[in-house]
Amino acid sequence: MKILIVEDEAKTAEYLHRGLHEQGYTVDVARTGPEGHALTLQHDYDVIVLDVMLPEMDGFAVLRAIRTHKQTPVLMLTARDRVDDRVHGLREGADDYLVKPFSFLELVARLQAVTRRGRAQESTQLRVGDLEIDLLSRKAYRAGSRLELTAKEFALLALLARREGQILSKTVIAEQVWDMNFDSNTNVVEVAIKRLRAKIDGPHERKLLHTIRGMGYVLEVRGDKEAP
Amino acid sequence: MKAAIATRLAVMFAVAALGVFSLVGFALRHVLQRELDRHQLSEVNTRLEYVGMMVARNDSAEKWQSLRSKLDALTPLDGSVRFWVMSPNPRFEYGDAPTMLRERLSTHTGGPFVIDLEGRSMKASSRSFASNGERPAVQVVTAVDSTRFLDTLNAFAGALVALSLAGVALVALLGHRIAKVGLAPLSSLSQEAQSLSPRDLSQRLRLSPLPPELADLVSSFNGALDRVQRAYAQLEGFNADVAHELRTPLANLIGQTQVALAKERTAPQLEETLQSNLEELDRLRAIVNDMLFLARADQGETALHRVQTSAAEEVSKTVEFLEVLLDEAGVSVRVEGDAHAPFERSLFRRAASNLLLNAIEHSERGAEIVVAIAQQESKVRIAVTNPGTPIPEQHLERLFDRFYRVDGARRNSRDNHGLGLSIVRAVAKMHGGTVFATSTAGGNTVGFTLADAPAARAP
Repeated sequence: MKILIVEDEAKTAEYLHRGLHEQGYTVDVARTGPEGHALTLQHDYDVIVLDVMLPEMDGFAVLRAIRTHKQTPVLMLTARDRVDDRVHGLREGADDYLVKPFSFLELVARLQAVTRRGRAQESTQLRVGDLEIDLLSRKAYRAGSRLELTAKEFALLALLARREGQILSKTVIAEQVWDMNFDSNTNVVEVAIKRLRAKIDGPHERKLLHTIRGMGYVLEVRGDKEAP
Repeated sequence: MKAAIATRLAVMFAVAALGVFSLVGFALRHVLQRELDRHQLSEVNTRLEYVGMMVARNDSAEKWQSLRSKLDALTPLDGSVRFWVMSPNPRFEYGDAPTMLRERLSTHTGGPFVIDLEGRSMKASSRSFASNGERPAVQVVTAVDSTRFLDTLNAFAGALVALSLAGVALVALLGHRIAKVGLAPLSSLSQEAQSLSPRDLSQRLRLSPLPPELADLVSSFNGALDRVQRAYAQLEGFNADVAHELRTPLANLIGQTQVALAKERTAPQLEETLQSNLEELDRLRAIVNDMLFLARADQGETALHRVQTSAAEEVSKTVEFLEVLLDEAGVSVRVEGDAHAPFERSLFRRAASNLLLNAIEHSERGAEIVVAIAQQESKVRIAVTNPGTPIPEQHLERLFDRFYRVDGARRNSRDNHGLGLSIVRAVAKMHGGTVFATSTAGGNTVGFTLADAPAARAP
């Protein structure tokens, strides 16, 4: 996956570069609009992260220039959270829009969503360690025994299993499981995770559902060195 | 620009005076004319009586001669009084009555009449006398010149007009002065208002020496100043609250980062610090985002992505989201009624979730929260009631203020930084609605309304 970041703010560009590189992307960084536009002419990117507030040529102008020759998915970043901006960006052909301050996890999730479009159907059977999930019959088993889950708990588990090994923020979870796409200051997700954990990890030696403090939750099989 | 009040009043006084003077003038002139008429008539009749007596006594041609000289003597040289005697016998005539007069008399039926003689208008009266001795029946006519009376009347009318005009001018002038004096409190009030300093919000206009008409104005003006001062104080308090809310996480961030860097740390220790920092930063982000959201609503932003939706359905979805919390708190929710309106789903859910969280926070274990949805005229009303201790009146109206807390304490500050109900208000505003809060013994109700048709700005 090849990604282009067009961002003039040094710190932002730096951490996006490092973070996305560690996520397995091949990352190019452009510090100005014209430079970014020139890069899109030379290379074929899978996705472009484009800041709106750029010197010389602003993000909308860059987007227009790119759209004259390429249909690469574009995710725009802005510090101004105005509906006009958002509508403007999407009308010009941006595929998504993130408002600063955004969480890095959310950016990764959005990038995946933008590039995943049109992918083949996922499998209906998921397996994480000795945890088995059947998406069709909506049943889950741990070490062969059936887990009694509520509908929402199953949805939560399915989401985590589908993104195995990937940290999911509370915001993403609330949006995917409950369709609550606003920044809610509740601990609903925390409580729901706590209950789910009791059911799937409760009696088992090896834990599968992990909390990454300050970031979110991840379902994965970890090595022996894991802290309790 | 409108003319000054004093000038307007002066003009109005002048117009009123003109009306009054005209009316009185016309009435006076009419009365005078009638009096003059009466006077003239009595003059004519007195003379006719007198001459008539002389004519009646006369019975011979000899005596007629002396009557003539007497009548000559009675006729003044300027011709202002005239006598005529008409008879079938020319010997018993006097004054050589003009043909015009004779013709007039032949058709005249009685009473006084007016004749035009040598260019002057005269009032005349006639009487017939039966024959006596030698003298045949005669007709006597007396006429008095009306010109004098008309002159008097005209002079009087002229004087009336002149006096009236002078009077009107005087009234206008006096009216202007009076208005100026009468309005003096107003101009002193405006001077006082001008001297109010924007720096000192506690200043007020003085009430004591004012006439009652202005006292009302001043007290409403002072009321407006009260509100401005309160709003200003609230804004200042609000800024302080924002600073406070931001200061706590910032202090944690700086402090724990400095502590972590002061000594050599192991990787897990540093990781621990970073994680804690991230939590604080997330708190800052949440506050900043909420503040920006509120600011956008304040700037008049409206909900753009409105879709016709069932309110009950959205509330149920929100209840589903909060299910685990309700379960933990041992509280149940009942949704009553339904209404459809165009609204932005995520905003609606956000408001509903904040209201429910507020209700959960203030409910005892085992309590039932009731969400009542109703269509009210052009609004959809969503009211969330939870049983609990009544909220005093003075808190109710401020419940939706940013960072306002009934108990003054900052409890639950990690999850809820005191903007929950402010956000409900912002959402209502973005949908052309309002918020409300009531408190009874049965429980506390907090809710909002949404306009059931999109505002004019919506696409």
